Amino acid sequence: MLAWLNERLGVEKALEWAKHKTVPVHRGTVFYYLGGVSLFLFILQVMSGILLLMYYRVGTDSSYESVRFITTKVDFGWLFRSLHSWTANLFVLFIFLHMFSVFFMKAYRKPRELTWMSGFVLFCLALAFGFSGYLLPWNELAFFATKVGTDIIGEVPGIGSWLLKIVRGGEDVTGATLSRLFGLHVAVLPGITTVMLVLHLAFVQIQGMSHGDQPEKGKTMPFFPNFLLRDMILWLITLNILAVLAVFFPWELGKKADVLASAPAGIKPEWYFLFTYQALKVIPGKILSIPGELVGILLFNLAGILWFLVPFWDAKIPEGKRNRVVNIVGLFAVLFILAMTIWGHWSS
Amino acid sequence: MLFGPSAAFPAEREVRCVTCHQNLGDKHEKIISDFKGDVHKEAGLSCNDCHGGNPNTDDIGEAKSPAAGFRGKPSREEMPGFCGRCHSNPQYMKKFNSALPVDQEKKYWTSVHGKKLKGGDAQVANCASCHPAHSIRKPSDPLSSVYPKNVAKTCANCHGNVRIMSGYKIPTDQFERYMKSVHAEALYKKGDLSAPTCNDCHGNHGAAPPGTENIMMVCGQCHAHNMEFLKQSPMAKPWSKNHLHMCVVCHNQHDVSKPNLEMLSGEMSLCLRCHQVGDRAYQVGSAMREKIEKFEKDYHSQVHLMEEIELKKGMDVTAADDAILESKQALFKARTTVHTFDPQKVQQIIEQGEGFLKRVKDIEDKVLREFWRRRIWLGLSTLLISFVIVGIWWILKEIERPK
Repeated sequence: MLAWLNERLGVEKALEWAKHKTVPVHRGTVFYYLGGVSLFLFILQVMSGILLLMYYRVGTDSSYESVRFITTKVDFGWLFRSLHSWTANLFVLFIFLHMFSVFFMKAYRKPRELTWMSGFVLFCLALAFGFSGYLLPWNELAFFATKVGTDIIGEVPGIGSWLLKIVRGGEDVTGATLSRLFGLHVAVLPGITTVMLVLHLAFVQIQGMSHGDQPEKGKTMPFFPNFLLRDMILWLITLNILAVLAVFFPWELGKKADVLASAPAGIKPEWYFLFTYQALKVIPGKILSIPGELVGILLFNLAGILWFLVPFWDAKIPEGKRNRVVNIVGLFAVLFILAMTIWGHWSS
Repeated sequence: MLFGPSAAFPAEREVRCVTCHQNLGDKHEKIISDFKGDVHKEAGLSCNDCHGGNPNTDDIGEAKSPAAGFRGKPSREEMPGFCGRCHSNPQYMKKFNSALPVDQEKKYWTSVHGKKLKGGDAQVANCASCHPAHSIRKPSDPLSSVYPKNVAKTCANCHGNVRIMSGYKIPTDQFERYMKSVHAEALYKKGDLSAPTCNDCHGNHGAAPPGTENIMMVCGQCHAHNMEFLKQSPMAKPWSKNHLHMCVVCHNQHDVSKPNLEMLSGEMSLCLRCHQVGDRAYQVGSAMREKIEKFEKDYHSQVHLMEEIELKKGMDVTAADDAILESKQALFKARTTVHTFDPQKVQQIIEQGEGFLKRVKDIEDKVLREFWRRRIWLGLSTLLISFVIVGIWWILKEIERPK
């Protein structure tokens, strides 16, 4: 069988390459597993998403009802729905951790600029997945959170109102918004993400693992099977955690969205958007006669672009050397996100 | 000198009235500005549609000439007829809204206000007292003086004014009392626009105090079952005979408080207004309270359990939704049935409700069994995965053991 495949596909070459693939061993090795866990969570998302898709029916008259049907009537529907929601949250969390660990280990430096950039795009795609999927159960919380979230899009200078109409499919959050976000969630985003993910993984394989600020010729371990087995252990632990979360803290469906009802008190976006929401909330109304919210959005966009381009403005530092500015920027970003998220969580 | 039409007026209806009136001081300026939001302006009407005259000329004599049908400002006595000229004309009103009633003027003349006006008392309320001239808005407009949340305040403008009311020898505390009522709580705190305000009991254009005989009918418009039960109860005849105001005997008038079971027995019992502790009537009240209280307690404990199963255990109990709703209905019904003053009838309703509560309990038990089943399966699968983890770890250690 192997010979048959080898004759046609050159499998032995691939196996030979795999045998020699190594992973650096140092005090930061543990961070190498974050990408693997993120990948595992993404696979779980795709699988549970496909199962949900078999019963989910998009529409203002059917979305909530079908999710309720999945949760209450479909065999193991409650498990897959809860698993999908919890996995989504852990997925975003691990991507955050993966991104920051790569940032602080300076693993984005030459020649891995494209790996970092494709990873950043994947991070944005994960947030877009979260945002688009959140509305799909068409419940009260999701409806108003989407309303607040899309309002921010409307503040983008020049093209804001046009963008808002594109996202919402009209002036307000309606059935048209639901259809759009559904299409985005199950077709557009998975397509783009698959391409980006393949590229990202290909870059990692081509360039190998970064040593960070450790010496290039340090201690290593074989990827197959040593690293992969460790990866598998973590994946299984994650699966166990997810199962416990899904059973002990099932994802609440809440009340069906009522477009005519007033927003419930204390409506907030999901935790991963909370820091931007809170920052825009506390920014002064006017800064140098420019609307504060607009300044906030521009600053977030600027910060995003700088973050995306970090391999280029950090390029002058020799391999293995520290860049104090980058470390301060990273530390500020972590503290800012944490502080704003905590503040946003506790504020009314 | 040429003036363009004011923005307060439709472009297609250029009226010259504004040309002069906008320069006649604050009062006139306010009229012009108020009219921007007036329902008549929205309908395409303008000054001359009410006041007559020729709106197309700058000549004051010609504009206000009797030949041009100038009617000017109506006196208080003329007001109902002035508005009624259009509002009592079905053919004319159809042009704007075919569903709009045209009996307002007719009803007004049957009201206490209308009768007094006819009797020569010009101080009483007329159309403009409730619908301020030049800023009349639809009743559904929150800025309207007759929007449900504004009605009580509009009535209180006169009825809460001691000076105005002193000549009529009627109290002026209705507004304060109403604001303490369960009706005001529903309207203002819960935002229920269908909750009763002044006009729902007294009528609007035909406003009059409900008499002793028909006060039950007034309350019965909304509380239909209570009215039917009370009519057939042993209390109906003696209360009527003694000129007691039926519903008002226990629930008061404007300050209708939220009913509770303490009204039936105990220190706060309303029966004690006429009866003695321990007499037959008091015992009836006590028996009804006891039965309802027990059922209420059972109902709340089932609701609490349902919430606990749903919110804390994350299980679906929607299958019990219908039964819990039915038992809630039974609780309401039992409370309503106290108006029969018959403990047996209350008991019958409660027995029906208990049947529904039993159904709820059966569903809860089934869901709880499923809850434990899930945990057992979770425990087993977690254990299995943990064995696999240990197995992989062992393999890893074997591989990495120095040879």
